[in-house]
Amino acid sequence: MNLLDIGQRPAKTHDHAHPHTHDHHHHDVHDHGHAPQVRAPRGKWIWYLAGAWLLVTSVYLVAADQQAVVTRFGRVVEPRVGPGIHISLPWPVDRVTKLKVQQLQRLVVGGNAGDSVTGRTQPLLSQFLTGDQNILHLRVVIQYSVGVPADYLFRSQDVSLLVGATVESELARRVARRTVDAVLTTEKVAIQEEVRGAAQIVINRNRLGVLLASVNIESATPPPEAADAFRDVASARADLSRIVNEAHGYANSVIPKARGEAQQMLESAQAYKLRKSNEAAGDAARFVQVADEYARASDVNGRRLYLETLEQVLPRIRKLVVDRNGNLDLTILRKGVEPAK
Amino acid sequence: MNRRYYPVAAAVVGVVLLWRSFFAVRETDFVLVTQFGRPLYTVSEAGLSIKWFFQSATYFDKRLRIYNPRPSEFLTGDKKNLVIESFVAWRIEEPQRFVQTVGDPVAAELRLHDIVWSALAASLGTHDLETIVTANPEAARMQQMLENLTSQADHAALSQYGVRVVDVRIKRINLPEQNKQSVFARMRAERERIARQYRAEGEEQALRIRADADRQKEEILSAAYKEAEKIKGEGDAESTRTYSQAYSRNPRFYRLLRTLESYKRIFDDKTTAILSSDSELLKVLMRGENAP
Repeated sequence: MNLLDIGQRPAKTHDHAHPHTHDHHHHDVHDHGHAPQVRAPRGKWIWYLAGAWLLVTSVYLVAADQQAVVTRFGRVVEPRVGPGIHISLPWPVDRVTKLKVQQLQRLVVGGNAGDSVTGRTQPLLSQFLTGDQNILHLRVVIQYSVGVPADYLFRSQDVSLLVGATVESELARRVARRTVDAVLTTEKVAIQEEVRGAAQIVINRNRLGVLLASVNIESATPPPEAADAFRDVASARADLSRIVNEAHGYANSVIPKARGEAQQMLESAQAYKLRKSNEAAGDAARFVQVADEYARASDVNGRRLYLETLEQVLPRIRKLVVDRNGNLDLTILRKGVEPAK
Repeated sequence: MNRRYYPVAAAVVGVVLLWRSFFAVRETDFVLVTQFGRPLYTVSEAGLSIKWFFQSATYFDKRLRIYNPRPSEFLTGDKKNLVIESFVAWRIEEPQRFVQTVGDPVAAELRLHDIVWSALAASLGTHDLETIVTANPEAARMQQMLENLTSQADHAALSQYGVRVVDVRIKRINLPEQNKQSVFARMRAERERIARQYRAEGEEQALRIRADADRQKEEILSAAYKEAEKIKGEGDAESTRTYSQAYSRNPRFYRLLRTLESYKRIFDDKTTAILSSDSELLKVLMRGENAP
């Protein structure tokens, strides 16, 4: 009897936090001397309680999205327990800590989330210096999950602070090695990847137990003091492409038009050639026929043609007929209007 | 009566002694075992450990901590001012020395601040601004500088305070507030230059494109003119050949016909013809049918 009591006592003493167990224990000691005959049924209660306690504290469930770390007297004995029902030694020997390993946690470096809501800027918080000594405002969102649960739980005091500071330092270093234009445009993705890679190496070295899912430059903007000048560069770039496009438009209208004109010139030249040769052929055929007729009686035909022509020509014109031997007074020509008397 | 409680009392004493002899060391802690205030040894292995019941155990958090010193201004080797915001990742490495020299983390941070600040000041003083902030990656020396700085700080902190400096890093490099206005002015000037350059380049390209288009146009039109004139010439040549072939069959008739044709065109109503009565036409009119 005594042995049994004493054997249970250390375990019970550890269990002070459980008021029920303590009560029953007290009860047991009280009853000890007075009613030994009812000890057997009372003793049963202790076994039931011990059984329940074992069941409650040594069987644990790990949900599908969780992993668990089991420590025995503070020492890690199971660094990574997957989902399912598992058994451990009862509390307080073993302790089970469950972690949602896949859940992404979010951190913001640079301008913080409150800014966009209140519209207030915190220049010192978001200003970064670029390699060509320009000042830029950056806002970077980090997402990470638990990679090594035991490290995550036991290796550092404040994981998120360390992760944020590590990423920030890698970011600052990389931004300080690039020109402002590179950061704003072409190199953005490269910076993100480099920062993520480098920060992950540091995180692994310092055993923070964190897996960086992404480092995302959410906004990179010039400081408000120079924002309009940056905008002007953007509009100048737009002007450039507009002017060039207009010139292309001009070229695209001028050249086809010239081609059309060229075609027109060629077509009309062909038409001219055709007309000329056809006319010549026609004229020639006509001449040949008339000439053949003429040849048959050239004297008569010649005279006829001559007279016919004079008949056409002479009626239209003024005529002065002078005798072969007479003198011509040319003054009549000067008067012009008067016919010969 | 009293005797009956002896075993109970012995058990209680035994439990207390047992309780005092075992202690659990968590993964996050160092335990310094002291005997009447005098440090004896450190337990760094997690798990259940044993000590004498009269000894006591002090727990030290051995996890990695972060310390953020306030941003401060440093002078670079080429006498430029930079505002550096750094952080220090550190942890307690030797609890015995730690407890003897600094005691608590807040005091440790004060010491760390001094160590890191002077190390930063010293190494920045030997580096030009261009090796820290530069668009030329080859000139960058920051990483190396920080590694040296970390090992220096670590050496100093470990030997003096039992503190391990895992990492000294620069979170932010900035220019002093009073310099910023001139930086903004410079940035603006730079942007204006770039904008002008873009526009000028646009004009250049546009002019080039237009000139090229005009050249092509001239090329096309002149080539077409050349071809067209050639074709017309062919036509002219062909018609001339046709005419000459036809006319050469009877050149006399052609001369007559062509001369008469010319008369029709030469004479109009403003023409005054002086006709001799002797002429072919009037001969008959003047002299009668039998005129010679």
